[in-house]
Amino acid sequence: MKIINDEDLTLLYYGEHEDPALAAAVAESEELSARYDALCAELKLADAYQPPQRGDDYGADVWQRISSRLGEDDTKSKGRLGAWLASFVQPRFSLAGALSIALVAALAFMLGRNGGPEISTDANAPAGVTPVSMAGIDSDRLLNRSVAAHLEQVNIVLTQFVNTSQTSSNETEHATDMLVANRLYRQAAEAQGNQKLAAFLADLEPLLIELAYQAQSGSPATRERMQQEVKDGLLFRVRVMNNQLSKPEISV
Amino acid sequence: MSQIEQKIIRKAAKGDRAAFRQLVLEHSHAMFRLAWRLSGDESAAEDIVQEAFIKAWRKIGEFRMDASFKSWLHRITVNTAMDYLRKHVRRKQFETVGPAWETLDQAGAVPDTGTQIDISRQTQVAMMDLSDAERTALLLKHYEGHSIEEVARIMEITTGACKQNIFRAVRKMRVALRPLVAT
Repeated sequence: MKIINDEDLTLLYYGEHEDPALAAAVAESEELSARYDALCAELKLADAYQPPQRGDDYGADVWQRISSRLGEDDTKSKGRLGAWLASFVQPRFSLAGALSIALVAALAFMLGRNGGPEISTDANAPAGVTPVSMAGIDSDRLLNRSVAAHLEQVNIVLTQFVNTSQTSSNETEHATDMLVANRLYRQAAEAQGNQKLAAFLADLEPLLIELAYQAQSGSPATRERMQQEVKDGLLFRVRVMNNQLSKPEISV
Repeated sequence: MSQIEQKIIRKAAKGDRAAFRQLVLEHSHAMFRLAWRLSGDESAAEDIVQEAFIKAWRKIGEFRMDASFKSWLHRITVNTAMDYLRKHVRRKQFETVGPAWETLDQAGAVPDTGTQIDISRQTQVAMMDLSDAERTALLLKHYEGHSIEEVARIMEITTGACKQNIFRAVRKMRVALRPLVAT
């Protein structure tokens, strides 16, 4: 039989040794028995490494602490489609906001196609928006309100961006959604002849592109430069424009 | 894994929060014990447990029913603990342990009073002197009772590497604990 070393004895102690003859060999040899007993005694002391006790309600306590955070992470577990669906129930990206995107996309299409602000009241209207309500809104106000809702979301994302040191994948996904929406609104503004609004949205686009594609993988220096750009004026301009668009009488 | 647990896991994987709550209630204590042994710190262990459950919620859809849920949770806990330890100072709690350990070193014997407490502290210090891999392997084997194969799977290493980590850890622990055996 091969020489029995401490590694064999360790495996024997943990019931992992593959050689069934080992236990018998240890039992028969005084020297091996002494070595094995010493190992057992020393490892038994390690049992003193006991964690502090938690109460019976510890599990409930853990649940209470994490349950509110699980919602934040729902979007990550459900993939891109799930994330998109989840965006409907997140307060900051409301159903109204999502509907307005669809509505303005339709508006952009109609304006571009027909060259006028007349809104169809047919059954193709987005769900939840009745023909009556659409008929009562002129296209300028509709676009302004939709862009205001969009800028509100941009404001939230940019504020988070300048106040955190790392870009989360969530933030990147939101920036991607925002980029798509921004392009739709810009096209709608151009189609409507609202050059000022279209120019403003065009100014916003490069930053959204960077946020969507570079912020997470870029260097800390890139992030700092982007944060500085946002702080230097873009965030302020977003807020001012949002305020202007939110006032019903003012058209930009 | 029981059929009931499988059912609960399936529900949780579909986004059922009540089902996931059941899993949290069932596994919190065990996860705390593992997190505490890995970190050696009570508040760190609590943070690790919470983070690990949040990760588990995000990833539960990836869990394979033919695997052990306990091992799966342990893998998440170990990874979370390693991330945590990399980010935080891991041994601040041992600053207060210093005098007892020094007493033992200098005198070469265990103090007569509070021996059990000293053994516990010194075991803790010895444990934290192991490398992360050695400590994790030993904890999963010695305290959690996983087989070497399971430990290797949890740590995502080969069984050979796992054995070597356990052997090194045992060797170091024995050297540290040997002076205490006589008591």
